[in-house]
Amino acid sequence: MTDPAGNVEYRVAHLRDRLAAEELGELGVRVEVHGQTVVITGTVPSAQCRDILLRTAREELAELAVHSDVVVAENTSPDHAEELP
Amino acid sequence: MIRVAAVGDIHMGAESQGLLRPAFDTLPDCADLLLLAGDLTRHGTPEEARVVAREVQGLAVPVVAVLGNHDHHDDQPEKVTGILQDADVTVLEREATVLNCAGTRVGVAGTKGFGGGFVGRSAGEFGEPLMKEFVRYSRHCADGLREALEELRDRDCEARIALTHFSPVADTLAGEPLEIYPFLGTYLLAEAIDTGGADLAVHGHAHMGTEHGMTAGGVRVRNVAQPVIRRAFNVYQLHTADEGAARV
Repeated sequence: MTDPAGNVEYRVAHLRDRLAAEELGELGVRVEVHGQTVVITGTVPSAQCRDILLRTAREELAELAVHSDVVVAENTSPDHAEELP
Repeated sequence: MIRVAAVGDIHMGAESQGLLRPAFDTLPDCADLLLLAGDLTRHGTPEEARVVAREVQGLAVPVVAVLGNHDHHDDQPEKVTGILQDADVTVLEREATVLNCAGTRVGVAGTKGFGGGFVGRSAGEFGEPLMKEFVRYSRHCADGLREALEELRDRDCEARIALTHFSPVADTLAGEPLEIYPFLGTYLLAEAIDTGGADLAVHGHAHMGTEHGMTAGGVRVRNVAQPVIRRAFNVYQLHTADEGAARV
């Protein structure tokens, strides 16, 4: 029998649970297994949130390759408006 | 013409103070009001709500908000609402407000809304008590939105906007996994918008979604979740009924 604790899918699920439950309250990023790599994508509110997210991912997915495409939200004003006739 | 600025899902925490304010200070140059489409905080704590309140307090345009699911997480939505109200934010939950924007009466009807899914792929009010409660709550939010829009129809508004956190249509969820659509919105909100009548519907919640959509009744829908619009807010220039009549 395979050790469920070593199953990558369950580890990803546990990471998602931690991201939601802990200080980030983060439900908006995607965590997916691509071959031998876990890919994390999404937008977080601040650079500090991104650091915490990646630290948590490395803890939960230790020994697995983690690729991050997480970006920080942009806080600039729009340069144009959409006209709705 | 009304210039509507809108953003949702700003998810502010202790370190967020001041990140959005520089952009918000430019609002008088480009918008007549600011709509906040919920998930203003991360956990719905009073401390996080105070960060949001300070970020929008004293802006030169009126601010109207609905709460999101994150703003309920600490089980203190009334306290979050009160803190925002103290900062002159109008917080709507199955309610309407009328703003006078440069001489034009603009009505905003709002609710957080809830999930349930979309026609043919939706939850039903059947079976276990929890399942029935889920759908009843979603219907309760949608009914309140419809009634608020109907109230605005009777209050002589030149433009009416529906503001929700959850999505009324599947269009603006494109990019999200199909499996989670029922947790992102419900057609009940769209039916309420089409029945009550609106010129624009604005929502958040779907970070991986798409900005543009439309209800079955032809009301334009915009997903303004900050990760979707990729800026501090978007602006929609909405032509009023009087202008439309003048053009005919």
